[in-house]
Amino acid sequence: MKKKRFYSGIATALLASSVLAGCSFGSGEESSGGSNDGGGEGGNGEAVTVDVFQFKVEFKDQFEELVSMYEEENPDVNINVKTVGGGNDYGASLKTSFSSGEEPDIFNVGGPTDVDEYEEYLADVSDTKAAEAALEGTLNGVSRDDQVLGLPFNQEGYGLLYNKKVFEEAGIDASSIKTMEDLKGAVETLNSNKEELGIKAPFAFPGKEKWVMGNHLANAYLADEFNHDVMEAYEAETVEFAMGDQMKEFTDLQSENSIQPVLSLDYSQQVEEHFSLGNVAMIQQGNWVYNTIESMDQEFAENNVGLLPIPVEGYEGSIPVGVPYYWVVNKQSEDEVVQASKDFLDWMYTSDKGKKFVTEEFKFIPAYEGYEDQEIADPISQEIYNYAKEGNTLGWVFLGAPTAWTEDALGVAMQEYLAGDITWEEVEKQATDAWEEARQ
Amino acid sequence: MRNRSLSFWLFLTPVILGLGIVVVIPFVYGLIYSFTDWNGLTANNFVGLENYIKLFQEDEFMNSIWFTIKFAVITVLLLNIFGLGLALLVTRNMKTNNLMRTVFFMPNLIGGLILGFIWQFIFISVFGDISGITGIEGLSGWLSTTNTGFWGLVILTSWQMAGYIMIIYIAYLENVPKELIEASKIDGANAVQRFKNVIFPLVAPAFTVSMFLTLSMSFKIYDQNLSLTNGGPFNSTQMVAMEIVRTAFSDREMAYAQAKAVIFFLIVAVISLTQVYYNKKREVDV
Repeated sequence: MKKKRFYSGIATALLASSVLAGCSFGSGEESSGGSNDGGGEGGNGEAVTVDVFQFKVEFKDQFEELVSMYEEENPDVNINVKTVGGGNDYGASLKTSFSSGEEPDIFNVGGPTDVDEYEEYLADVSDTKAAEAALEGTLNGVSRDDQVLGLPFNQEGYGLLYNKKVFEEAGIDASSIKTMEDLKGAVETLNSNKEELGIKAPFAFPGKEKWVMGNHLANAYLADEFNHDVMEAYEAETVEFAMGDQMKEFTDLQSENSIQPVLSLDYSQQVEEHFSLGNVAMIQQGNWVYNTIESMDQEFAENNVGLLPIPVEGYEGSIPVGVPYYWVVNKQSEDEVVQASKDFLDWMYTSDKGKKFVTEEFKFIPAYEGYEDQEIADPISQEIYNYAKEGNTLGWVFLGAPTAWTEDALGVAMQEYLAGDITWEEVEKQATDAWEEARQ
Repeated sequence: MRNRSLSFWLFLTPVILGLGIVVVIPFVYGLIYSFTDWNGLTANNFVGLENYIKLFQEDEFMNSIWFTIKFAVITVLLLNIFGLGLALLVTRNMKTNNLMRTVFFMPNLIGGLILGFIWQFIFISVFGDISGITGIEGLSGWLSTTNTGFWGLVILTSWQMAGYIMIIYIAYLENVPKELIEASKIDGANAVQRFKNVIFPLVAPAFTVSMFLTLSMSFKIYDQNLSLTNGGPFNSTQMVAMEIVRTAFSDREMAYAQAKAVIFFLIVAVISLTQVYYNKKREVDV
């Protein structure tokens, strides 16, 4: 009997101690000076290991190719790349790696919210060449005091993608569409000639996707309110919907002239089934859909897709362009690892080889100067880059909204509006209330 | 119970370790975190019951609980009706018995995510086309309203799980003694009487098993929900599991989500314990 008690005692003690050991709150700060994996191997003269933890699945292979090019040029640097699927999964896995002590040396953050959350880990990168070359405004979201805490991935932009052939056949001149009235006229023309044009409806409006409405559609009409500055939105106590009427008009225009029912229409139906196959003439999307359209119909993607600006009063002929993600360097890594990380990012965005790769292989719209001589890979991106170059842009302010506000407050309210459950005034009120509550 | 020797603990160690590492320890952690302001990286303050008070005042969470309860009640009913129906069908002496059993069980072998996408296609495109051709209004616009989303989920789950429940009923049905059935025939009972007075009471224990099995299953559904409606429209078809994931990973309120998960655990635990209780009781009866 005594023996038994002894062993069970040991088992209990073991369990208890492991529980207690894990429960020290705030342990993240304590271990700050400690080493993380990779850094430990970077002794003098030996190879430095940099761990990259990135989210963009779409360019994983190309990115790894670029990394091996860099490793060939710099034999004393060893870069490990880990890619975890986009969106929510990335945020969760990043948290997991931090709380388990396997902190990456280079990782990605989205907007100001992410920056605040990880601030104690973010190194100042203002001394890099890439930070100097970054286009004006692209560093707004990651600047704190005099520090620059991240480097932009790329630029992305959106508007109304239209089917050039259908527009031509309908006799609509896309370049003349600037205001809401122009657009309404075009929609009417399309509507009255649906059969001859072979389309089912002018638009495919994905009411199921809260982000299409809450992030992108809304952003076009909220940008002015926050002076196109994501930080201003981030600090704002409230949201007024100063252009709410136009936003309603544009939402109505899209949903009423869309393939029905809009509330079960999703992103893939919108882009693949309806737009790529020519069922509709226009969709509100951005350059990221290019590869999808190309995989459906290459000829169509290359020659027949054009971009129209979203009609916003005072900003006719401008499209929203912004930086969706940033590279950041973990300052709690060892000094030479931090330096090696910065060097790598610099090389990727400012060396000749890197630049060529960024535009041709990654198919990015560069967020940096010095790309004048590079060919931008796809026509949609090319158009967006032109808008950006001429300064005809609206800011991306939705990354500065309270966490999940765009989808779970505004997006949900807009869905209720589309279902006919609430009025537009209630949409604005619900969204404003949720914003104010989050910012208290 | 007396002879717990060294080897007893030795054999038990792997299980205890496994269970401890993946279930017990995370559970204790979770419980502790639910009383803090943990954000996934650090927990700085104990906030007491704040998270728990907050969650009972949140409409979205309460809605998701009601939605789940409604869903569970209806699915449990339908699953048992279909399960028993199918079982009766395949226990008659027919040549296609084995084939049909396989066919009915098959949906259960396909993952919930894929099923969700398949049914999404059926509800949206196939139903839409049928309504276009026949003009039946009720078939268009599925999954775009709360009601159709709800019934979509019910249909999907019933279709997937009925085969599984069928297997349980088959086991009980095949154990009904032949002589009792013969005796009832001799006494002149017709098919309905025979089912009501002979077969049904003998299969009754299967109800307990199936009912609680389906009950806890339908409470914990996540993947079907995710791929079929993804909570839409306007988060009205969001079940508890999905609501918790949303709170944790898109609202990033880890501790708050943890508190919700604890409540969810309590609900499921109560159901499971009731199940054990009733099962035990019935075992004594039989």
